[in-house]
Amino acid sequence: MFGYVRAYKPYMRVFEYDIYKAVYCGLCKDMGRRYGFFTRFTLSYDFAFLSLVDLSVRNCMLDAEMQRCAAHPFTKSMCATCKNDLSYSSAAAVILTYHKLKDDAADKGLKGRLLAAAALPFFRKPYREAADEYPELAPKIERAMILQNKIESDKTAGIDLACEPTAMMMTAVFGGLTEEPRQKELLERFGYLLGRYIYITDALDDLRDDYRERSYNPLLNAFDVPYGKEKIPKDKLKQIRRYARDSVNFTLGSLADVYVKLDFKRYRDILDNIIYLGLKNTFNSVMSGKFKNKDKRGNHIYE
Amino acid sequence: MNDPYKVLGVSPSASDEEIRKAYKELVKKYHPDQYQDNPLADVAAEKMSEINAAFDEIMEQRRGGSGSSYSYGGNSGGSYNYGGGSSSSYNSIQVRQLIQSGSVTQAEQILNSVPNGSRDAEWYFLMGSVCYKRGWLNDAYVHFQRAYQMNPSNPEYGQALNQMNRQRNGYMNGNPVRSGTDSDMNTACNCCSNLICADCCCECMGGDLIPCC
Repeated sequence: MFGYVRAYKPYMRVFEYDIYKAVYCGLCKDMGRRYGFFTRFTLSYDFAFLSLVDLSVRNCMLDAEMQRCAAHPFTKSMCATCKNDLSYSSAAAVILTYHKLKDDAADKGLKGRLLAAAALPFFRKPYREAADEYPELAPKIERAMILQNKIESDKTAGIDLACEPTAMMMTAVFGGLTEEPRQKELLERFGYLLGRYIYITDALDDLRDDYRERSYNPLLNAFDVPYGKEKIPKDKLKQIRRYARDSVNFTLGSLADVYVKLDFKRYRDILDNIIYLGLKNTFNSVMSGKFKNKDKRGNHIYE
Repeated sequence: MNDPYKVLGVSPSASDEEIRKAYKELVKKYHPDQYQDNPLADVAAEKMSEINAAFDEIMEQRRGGSGSSYSYGGNSGGSYNYGGGSSSSYNSIQVRQLIQSGSVTQAEQILNSVPNGSRDAEWYFLMGSVCYKRGWLNDAYVHFQRAYQMNPSNPEYGQALNQMNRQRNGYMNGNPVRSGTDSDMNTACNCCSNLICADCCCECMGGDLIPCC
């Protein structure tokens, strides 16, 4: 579910990339400080995007300095300091990751289950702390997860309904960025559509694995693909891919509509890059099947 | 409400860029930060909300489909006021108002209560708008398609479908990179081939643009 929201690096200016990375580093450190060293390993660039939106909504200039970190002990790199207050993104990252791990532990393949089960104990305490700090966010995510399980066990066929839980989660996450009603409404829709994009992309990315393991995948269900064969029948695969592309294009088109209305001022170029290029690029590389093998943390991501 | 174009001080024929610029200028001028501890703060705040509303309205109007699919006045709805002729019993204007004011669930309830047999083009259009507003875009598309098939002459349905078709082909509002990543790569090629063309033309006329070829 993570790793689909990130920038398209070739179109970034160097200083923009530095800021993007600095936010990621700052967030990683912030997570370490608040929720313990272990949680840092799970951070993805998606949350750097959340932080950028957060900073932009608060109209906050980035405060960064050169620092070392555990992952790169010998070189200093630009890193956002704690003055920026990235606490919301860290909490959201912890809450979402905890639920993802719980979900994985229940229904991923053997390897995924073991990994998730191993990581989960490290997340219990941080999760409680994060949930206490943002009491509105955690219950909303929990509710969405319950719906998610229901949809998976019912084997729902409609894409729109299948997207709902992830979209609800992102609605809650982005809606929590502000209290100002007009902007909150826009951010909620923004989150909803981003969640839709993430879910459809994820479903396409997992298509083959799900088919092999005969587990639920909304795209397989929507086209009534019979399980059991070696590979997904060619004509069905073609239909599925076209359908996924159309759905993502609808979603991104509407996302752009809201994004224009949000009219962010700060970090505009980086956000533009992610929205207009990054999302499409990620989806295209998922389409071509190149995404799975790539480093999901954000380097070597572009074609 | 006042004419939104007047509020922003632009003419209705102004381009989106001009409007955005005018909006930004006004925001800068009336931003509450500039009126801290100032007796005019209230006036500025009021002006600010007026400007925001005007900007939203214009952008909504101009965006066509997405915005206008749920921001109608009653004028076009008038002809769809059912009751006579067909057996359907819902009030299209009421549903439109509900959708516009954000009461999507209520609108959906009314629409769902219409029996399957008496669902007409308007019904599919309204249902599509409900879905669109909720973010159920795939369903919205199917419904708009159906509405358009049933009544291709209605400009509203056509517009809504068009808007979604554009998105389907990858259109994103406000995209600063005009032609996307792949076709941008072609500009260098185009430049070369254009030069060679120009060279050929020159050579026809006896001149030479690129001496080596």
